Amino acid sequence: MEYEKCYVYEPEGQGPAKRRQIEPQGLQASWKLRREAYQAAWRAQKAQIDAKLSDLNAYAVRSLTAFLDEAAQSPQSSAIPTAILSTGPEASSSTAVTEQLSRDQNAQKCRVFLSISASTGPNLKALLKAIIQKATSRQESPDDDDEDDEVTTRKKGAKLLNYDLQLLADYVSERQLEQVAIAVGDTEGFDSDLLSELVELLGYWCDRIPVVLLLSVATSAESLQQRLSRSAVRCLKGQMFDVAASAIQLEHALEAVVADHPTIWPGSDLIGLILERQSDYIQSIDSFTHAIQYTYMSHYSANALSILLIPSIKFANIPPDHFEALRNVDSFRQHCRGILDDNQASRVRELLDSDEKLFNLAADSIRDLRDRLNSMLPAMKLLQHIQDILHSYPVTPTMPFSKAYKLAMAGRLTQDSSFIRSMLLSVRKSQQHIIGQVLQAFNISSIPATFRSQAETLGKELIRLSASAAGENVQLRSEESVKNSTLRTTVVAQKVELSKQKATLSKRDESYTKLLRRLSDLLERYFGEALVDPKTCLFHELVVYDLRSPYRDTFTPRPRQAIERALATPHDYLDCDCCGPDAASRGKEMMLASSQPTTAVLYQLYLESGSLINVNDLRQAFLAVTAEDGRSEEENTALFQRALAELRSLGFVKGTRKRADHVAKVAWRGL
Amino acid sequence: MGIPLLPDELMLMLKEQWPCRETQITQLAGLLSPTRSSPSTLTIYGPHATGKSDVLRSYLDAAKLPHAIVRCRECVTGRHLLERTTAAVHRSVQQEDDEDALNYDGRCENISALVVHLQRLLEKREKFVLVFDGVDKQRDAPPTLLPALARLGEFIPNLTTILIVQHPPPRFLHHAGIPHIQFPSYTRAQSIHILSQKPPDIFVEAPPAELDYDDETHQEDKAWLWPRFCAAVWDSLGESVARDLVSFRDVCYKLWQPFVVPIVKGDFGTRDFSRLLVNQRKLFQDESVLLDSIIAPVKAGPNAPPSSTTTHELPYYAKWLLIAAYLASYNPPRLDALYFMKSTERKRRKKGGGTARSGGRLSQKRSVPRHLLAPSAFTLDRVLAILHAILPHDLRTTIDIYAQIATLSGLKLLVRSGGIGSADPLEPGSKWKVGSVVRWENVQGLARSLKFDVVDYVAE
Repeated sequence: MEYEKCYVYEPEGQGPAKRRQIEPQGLQASWKLRREAYQAAWRAQKAQIDAKLSDLNAYAVRSLTAFLDEAAQSPQSSAIPTAILSTGPEASSSTAVTEQLSRDQNAQKCRVFLSISASTGPNLKALLKAIIQKATSRQESPDDDDEDDEVTTRKKGAKLLNYDLQLLADYVSERQLEQVAIAVGDTEGFDSDLLSELVELLGYWCDRIPVVLLLSVATSAESLQQRLSRSAVRCLKGQMFDVAASAIQLEHALEAVVADHPTIWPGSDLIGLILERQSDYIQSIDSFTHAIQYTYMSHYSANALSILLIPSIKFANIPPDHFEALRNVDSFRQHCRGILDDNQASRVRELLDSDEKLFNLAADSIRDLRDRLNSMLPAMKLLQHIQDILHSYPVTPTMPFSKAYKLAMAGRLTQDSSFIRSMLLSVRKSQQHIIGQVLQAFNISSIPATFRSQAETLGKELIRLSASAAGENVQLRSEESVKNSTLRTTVVAQKVELSKQKATLSKRDESYTKLLRRLSDLLERYFGEALVDPKTCLFHELVVYDLRSPYRDTFTPRPRQAIERALATPHDYLDCDCCGPDAASRGKEMMLASSQPTTAVLYQLYLESGSLINVNDLRQAFLAVTAEDGRSEEENTALFQRALAELRSLGFVKGTRKRADHVAKVAWRGL
Repeated sequence: MGIPLLPDELMLMLKEQWPCRETQITQLAGLLSPTRSSPSTLTIYGPHATGKSDVLRSYLDAAKLPHAIVRCRECVTGRHLLERTTAAVHRSVQQEDDEDALNYDGRCENISALVVHLQRLLEKREKFVLVFDGVDKQRDAPPTLLPALARLGEFIPNLTTILIVQHPPPRFLHHAGIPHIQFPSYTRAQSIHILSQKPPDIFVEAPPAELDYDDETHQEDKAWLWPRFCAAVWDSLGESVARDLVSFRDVCYKLWQPFVVPIVKGDFGTRDFSRLLVNQRKLFQDESVLLDSIIAPVKAGPNAPPSSTTTHELPYYAKWLLIAAYLASYNPPRLDALYFMKSTERKRRKKGGGTARSGGRLSQKRSVPRHLLAPSAFTLDRVLAILHAILPHDLRTTIDIYAQIATLSGLKLLVRSGGIGSADPLEPGSKWKVGSVVRWENVQGLARSLKFDVVDYVAE
């Protein structure tokens, strides 16, 4: 077999004689339906996120396109027009922009757009080769009539070296290209000398090749400039461009996730975890999308009740054991408890007996819950908006959408939450122009009409009040405003007493105060109605997905800890009898036993030693542990050698030049 | 001189086109006359921006000598240079007489092949000039390239090789008796004279009609003002830092528009040079015009793009990791226990006061501040341990922190440092260090944004 590089595997038998049972049982029976539902739901969701993100990139793409157009029109100067794209540490944001740009640009016949990165080539020759190859091979594939042109490229006679930019210059003059745009993906990854040389060389040629550079920098343009040679700096005529910061992208992506009637809503714990990870570790928006996709996947595949989320599901399509599962859901039990407390036992009996009744209840309550969740969105928006307006007011910080969503899903934006309280308080103290803006903010179409009309009447009253105030050139004041009360000091028996004194209010001010109270009542009523705690609703487990551990286990594994644990306490993985926890309870030395795998034994000895380990000492200690097993010394030495080699390949030890008979410890536990 | 080297009017035209290069043009005419014999090799040398290539090119064009110019800086390798040479000679020969074979296989692996190619191409030819422009800056040149090029004329009798170099070391061609023509850098008077040939406009937009200011006066005024301005620029900035013509010209053009703003506004007359100079003296003190920038100055206008406002921040733990890596790079490992052990919280305070004896004498060993030295390498486990030590809260080490290391090394903020097997990512105990862009100031800024007092942890 060794001399064959690959071979075709031909199984000898006809497979197992007994046909395996692949039909899913029980709750798994609905998996096929659920999988289709998952695919449909996720497809819709993904399209929304993508549309939102490409909208976000659109600004950068538009300005870059304008830049390229301008560069193509303006006459070539001695410097290369350069767009410096500041993208932040994640590469994906810049690739998204350049990909979109390359699609647009390459559609134009007289332009070439190509991108290179640090991995394209290790030296100037390879880079030039790649550039020339990418630029000249682009238009060959789509239409075949270019074939004739290819022949004439060679008409210059002498065959050129494949890194000769003359090839590109010939190509440019032949096709009458007006622009060759080169996008450099990760300028940080390039060797600085290489990048300088490339820029200089392109600078020499830019009278013959209309080159435009797109450099994306993750750190800053200054650090790029420091790395370039002086003559390379002179070759560049740059302009800065920005892609949207990842935090903003994240906000928009989250909005896209929940905006348009999603099938599942990520719960507050989960979304908190995801957002925290985004800001702590990663900034790529892709990982957020993946997290949401995983949410969908695990909900549809692990929760059999998600079958009820399928919009067109009929009672007949649901296997009966699913209803049994539905009756075990926590919120259903609480619901039943509530009905029983109302002394309506017959209704509970109905729900427990009749699957169809239960199905109808579930369908109704899911629809109801979804409506409620959807109506939360404009409330969150309004909240956010009011926060923005009040921002000048020192009490309330602005709130990003993600935070509002997280708080709302956790049920911490209900009527008596401290957040809403403090907001209403500051509304009641606000000045008239702020109130005017707040009332305007109400004009979102998704807010119920009753609230909107009330806000409108309040707005009209405000206009009337402020018009009359403006006639006398005075500000409207609210009773609760701080400016309205003065501190008064009186000395009573050699003690200073402070007392607050309210200024007397004019009639107009009184009516303004009343208006503010009405507004705050209106806001309170609206938020109280719209922002409910989803965890209190019936069957919220089906619509709101809020499990953290699957996400955590999947996206943030701990490889090092797993290896360390396996080696330090092999019982955790092997579950063997010899060194279980009961062994420890018997007072024995649990840690080191000859029955453990030899690598684990050696690792525990390794943990006890210093940074340089004498191998002979280690071997003696190892033999002392394994001696009880009754193997010969040669066998044990062989096992020792194998264990040491395994530790070495796991990266725990390495040879050291300091002493020939020692190994160096390179990994400490618990890092 | 007996027979004229070139027609007088041609010489005059050349000298007019290239002011302050009369000697050099005469020398060229003497050495490269179309009628007389020429030396087989000629070296033209002089610093940057002294007109070497351009004067030579216009001379060759004017004298109608068959020639080929190879720009060495465009050649990526030595072989590339040779192939381009062959191609250039072939093209130049082909232009002259069309009967030459249209297809010429220009494969040219080494200098010997070049000699053969040139011999074949230049057979039966009167005289041919081959110019290597900037040959001393050739990339990847074989060591024998220059001496070999200097000897081309020995094999091909009718060929004259001209090497344009900047600063030739003595005997760099290993050949005696090669004529050199020097192009010295321009003096103050010469630079100003050259620049004053083309004075730029004072008024970009036409001045208001009521001023009765016609084009003729404008021409006169600017021709009067511009040389004085150039002289002022030379004295303030050019003499010390922008001596060569190109950078001097750039500085002059950069400063011109801001300089004449008061004239355009109407505060000063066009001939008020001395008052204008005093008024605008700030311009000549500001040295930032001398620095090149990759970002072109944004023209102020209604449609100018807004200056960049968004900043892209590193993720939270990447910042901590970078600080930890900086500390690992600049703190000696033997002091780690002192600085990072949780139990010795107060020990890291500097010893205050000191006795009368301790402060007085400077120590004999001169110690350079550590943050000015190069970073030293550390192992990955050390930086992780420091990270755990300096974080204000517990860290659950997951794969994300390793991804951060990968991100930072992708940005060259963390780099693998040398040593055996450093190219292998799986090598245990491989060494790292912080990249060259990570400086003390940046780390301080990062630490400040995290409200972390990094000074307490840096070894003196």
